Parts: sequence; C-alpha cells; structure tokens
Amino acid sequence: MSKTVDIVQKKDPVVIEDVHMVYRVGKVDVPALRGVSLTVRAGEFLAIMGPSGCGKSTLLHVLGGLLRPTSGRIFIDGVDTSSVSDAERTEIRRRKMGFVFQRFNLLPTLSALDNIELAREIQGNGHVRNHQTTQEILGLLGIADKMHHRPYELSGGEQQRVAIARSVVSRPAILFADEPTGNLDSDNSQMVLNMLQELNVKYGQTVVMITHDPEAASTASRIVEMRDGKILNRVQNLFYAMEQKRV
Amino acid sequence: MLKLICANLIQRPTRTAVSVLAISLGVVLILVSVGLSYGQLTDAAERMRRIGGDFMLQPPNASFFFALNSGTLPVRLREVIQKVDGVRDATPVLAKFIGDKFHLVYGIDKESFARVNDSLRFVSGRHFESAYEVIIDTNYARSKRLKVGDRIELLNQSFSVVGVYQEGTASRVMMPLATLQELNGTPDKVTTFFVRAAGKNSLDVVYQRLKERFKDYTITRTADLQEIMTANTPVFKQFVAAVVAISVAVSFLIILLAMYTTITERTREIGILKSLGASKSYIVQLILRESLLICSVGVVLGFVLAALAIKLILTAFPSMPVNITIGWRVIAALMALSGGVLGALYPALKAAQLDPVKALGYE
Repeated sequence: MSKTVDIVQKKDPVVIEDVHMVYRVGKVDVPALRGVSLTVRAGEFLAIMGPSGCGKSTLLHVLGGLLRPTSGRIFIDGVDTSSVSDAERTEIRRRKMGFVFQRFNLLPTLSALDNIELAREIQGNGHVRNHQTTQEILGLLGIADKMHHRPYELSGGEQQRVAIARSVVSRPAILFADEPTGNLDSDNSQMVLNMLQELNVKYGQTVVMITHDPEAASTASRIVEMRDGKILNRVQNLFYAMEQKRV
Repeated sequence: MLKLICANLIQRPTRTAVSVLAISLGVVLILVSVGLSYGQLTDAAERMRRIGGDFMLQPPNASFFFALNSGTLPVRLREVIQKVDGVRDATPVLAKFIGDKFHLVYGIDKESFARVNDSLRFVSGRHFESAYEVIIDTNYARSKRLKVGDRIELLNQSFSVVGVYQEGTASRVMMPLATLQELNGTPDKVTTFFVRAAGKNSLDVVYQRLKERFKDYTITRTADLQEIMTANTPVFKQFVAAVVAISVAVSFLIILLAMYTTITERTREIGILKSLGASKSYIVQLILRESLLICSVGVVLGFVLAALAIKLILTAFPSMPVNITIGWRVIAALMALSGGVLGALYPALKAAQLDPVKALGYE
C-alpha cells in the first residue's frame, strides 16, 4: 500500500487519503469532511461540485494548507502536508500553490501591478523573482492597460483576471480556484473560465476549481461531486473542446 | 512590502498624522524638558568654572545651589586658605537668589576676584567703585534691555548699572561683597571660596592639601562641576527618568492603539497575505516596519518641533540657557522608536497568529 502511495506521490501533484475535518461549534462536533480521498493528476483541470455546505470549500482550504485536517493524509507534490508544521505548510503554499477566490481578494490599497508584484515578492521569499514579467502576464490576460488601476477602479471581471494573474505569477504547481465566477455576470464568468481553461491547456497548469455551478464545472476536464462531506462515487470525465488541442 | 506599508499609511491619513504627531510630541517632551534643565545646570556649572578658581571650598555637606546655603562661611577663612601650600589666591563669593527675578546675584571682592579670574571682559562701562553700583552680563543686559547708566531694583534697593561684561562668567549680576552681605543680613559671611592653585603645583597635590586642612568642608574641583551638578542635583535624575518614561509610554500606547486598530481593520488583508504564502515573520515585519516608519517620521517632526519650541522659549525668555546634546537627541529618537516597536509587537504577533480562513472570511 505504502509503495503504491509513493508511486502516486511522485506522479500526482495532489493526493489525499481518508481526510476528515471536524469543526467544534460550542460543545458540538460538526463534521465537514467525512473520509475524502482524491487524486489530482498533473495538468488536470478538476472541478469539485456540490451544493452549499457540502464541504467543498473546507476541502479546498485543507488542500491549500489553510486548514489542518482532523485526520487523514494530504500529499502536495509528494510532501505530506498534514504532518508538517504551520511554517512548513506556509512554505509549501508559497512555493507550490496559487489561489483565486470568489471575492477576488485583491489588496485594495495597491494597484493591479503592485498586487501582482507583492505576490511575487512573497513567493520569492522577500526577493522579487524573475520568472516572467508581470506586464507579460497582465498582457496575456488582456488587462495590461489596467495595471496601474486600483481594485475599486476595475470591474469584477477585471479584478478576477488580476487575481488570476497574481495566482500564476510564480508558476505554481497547483492553482486552486474557490467559486471564481461566483461574483461575476455571465460574460465575465465565461471569460474567467476560458482563462482558466487556457492556462490549463496551453501551459499545463493544474487547476482545482470549487463551484456549485454545473455550467462552470463543465469547463473542467474532470468533475467530482461532493455531498455531506463525502465525494460521491460517480465521477464524470468531461473533455471540453480545447482538450483536442492539448491531445 | 514598502509599497504596501506606504499605501496603508496613506489610506488612513488622519490616523497616520495623529500617530506621527503623538510620537513627535514625545520627542519634543524629552528634548525641551531635558534641554532646559540640562541647560540650566550646565550653564550654571560652566559660569562657575569660568570664574577661574581650580577649587571651590564650601561648608560641610554644602549644596551647589547657592540659594540654599547663602552666607555661612566666615570671610576671614580666606587667610587660612591662602596659607595652604600651593594656593595662589582665594576669592570669597556670597551668592544670593533673587526670587522675583529668578536669578543669582554674586557679591564679590573685586580685588581678589580679579587675581583668581582672568575671563571677565567688559564690553561697556567699568567695574563697580561704590556700594550701590552693579555690573551685569550681556545676556542680562539684552534680556532686561539695560545699558550702562540705567538703574535697576534689587533686594529693595536701587542700583546703578556701571558696567556690562561678556556673558559666560560667574552670575548675571555682581555687586560689592560688603553691600550684598549687608542686604542679606550676613555680615562677614560668604557662600563659597574660589581657590586658585599656584601655576607650578599639581592640582591633585593642592587638592589633597586642602582636603587635609579643611577636613569637614566640601572641596570640589571646578573642572568636575558639570558632572557633579548633573549627578547630584536633587530629583534631576528622577525628573529626567520620568520625562523619558512618559515619552516612551506615549509612543507605546499610541502605536499600540494605531496598530491594533490597523490589524483589526485589515484582518481580511492579512488573510490574503497568508493565502499568498506570507509567513508569520513576514506579517510581523510588515506591522513592525509600518510602526517604525510612523515613529521615524515622528522623530524627525519631533526634532523640528523641539527646535521651534526652543526658539519660542528663547524669544520669550532670552536668558534661558538650553542645552540639547547629540546624546539626548539620540536617546529621544531611540526612546520613540523603541516605544513604537514595543507598541506594535503585540498587534504584530496577533496578526501573525490569525487563522487565514477566518481572516479571509472577515467582513
């Protein structure tokens, strides 16, 4: 068994085994995750779907190292993040993960460019890295002309594109998106989903997206459904049109 | 990080300005109060030193504050002092504090004073010749707008100003010893003797001889006066310590309040930074650097405001000596900075400990 896990660890960026998460609310234990096991393959675009309260956001936070699970193991690029210290989890988050949130979560006092540069600075452990220029990424996402705008001067779609640019500026191994279209109208939603697809198809970016919207989920290459803190045993593999290009 | 810090400070201009102002007031508090008190002490010590005596001989357990022990030494003691081997001369001085004018008047014996002193330079007029004539220094003349020929009221007597000497030596006003003794009600008594050693003798040797001859008396080297006065002035150290403590407390509390409010307001932003992978030390540094920036600007503003305050004080009271040393500037700056850093430490650690998921969900 452990041998199998070792092989999987090396091959897949995210492997989780029998993860439980229980919140303590007053004197009551509220289970949010009840034995979730899942593997995300390199270059995969995975959508985790389910109704509100099914535990999908908790799963994303556990995967992203923002929460420590009550039990179970989580391997990110081969490292068991459930058994490491807070500082080590932060380090793994910094080096391997990018996040896109429903509420964009840009720093309101900084311009689009500075938001991205700050992320680059943090991910470079205090020193600005030179992976790819921020301007190039902003250009790629079609917002180069907005780089000096503050978040409140941008539309929701533009803010989310800046957030995507920020999340991929250091080329993370995994991009986690938590309801990335939840606050957008349908045009901007489609644009953001297309971008995530493009990052996945063109650049091989592994994406894990949480959504309750079946239409948004349909852009992913694979969908898993959650209900009551568990992953349902019906897994859909969907191949969107752009998959053909990758093949 | 610097951009984020500056943006945060600009985002809340009123809070930033109030914090900077409060820090600067702490700096002003230290510089002005210590500057004025040190100024008084060092100026008094320097002017006594420049009388020219190598030693001061005072009664046992005497204070350097002449007003407290005015006229207790017999003037004939001078003859005994002069007989000590190695002593060139000694001059008696009676010091009297003029309460309503807040300064000292010296009664001096003109002839012996001249033999001990060699720094008294008249800028106008002459030395006193008769009982109700006084000489004043340039500082006193400037602040009281007096010149040779004017009359001044001292100890309920009218005196004629006959000479103005360059400030920096002895008291602001000097009159004949006998006149002050009479007005003070202490005939034949003086406050202190300024003793000058003969040139070829070692000061240490003369000092030892004086100590042996006047066992119960207080004998002080005038070169050590400044240090002794600063160290021995009643409650001076406590006063300075209290001023510094208040200043640090002000810096500490202001920064604590400002930074605590800041992190409460910016909980969500801290959650964002954590989701980007910012470590605890990054968050702590962010808050501490922000506080250091506020304090640094506060220190600079404090220096400017202290200079303005001193200028205003000197305009109102031209004779007020002020001495703000580089050392005290450094201390004032360090106290403000350390108060600020200490004040920011708790909010910084609290911010670093925030749960990223809760912080991201904070409204």
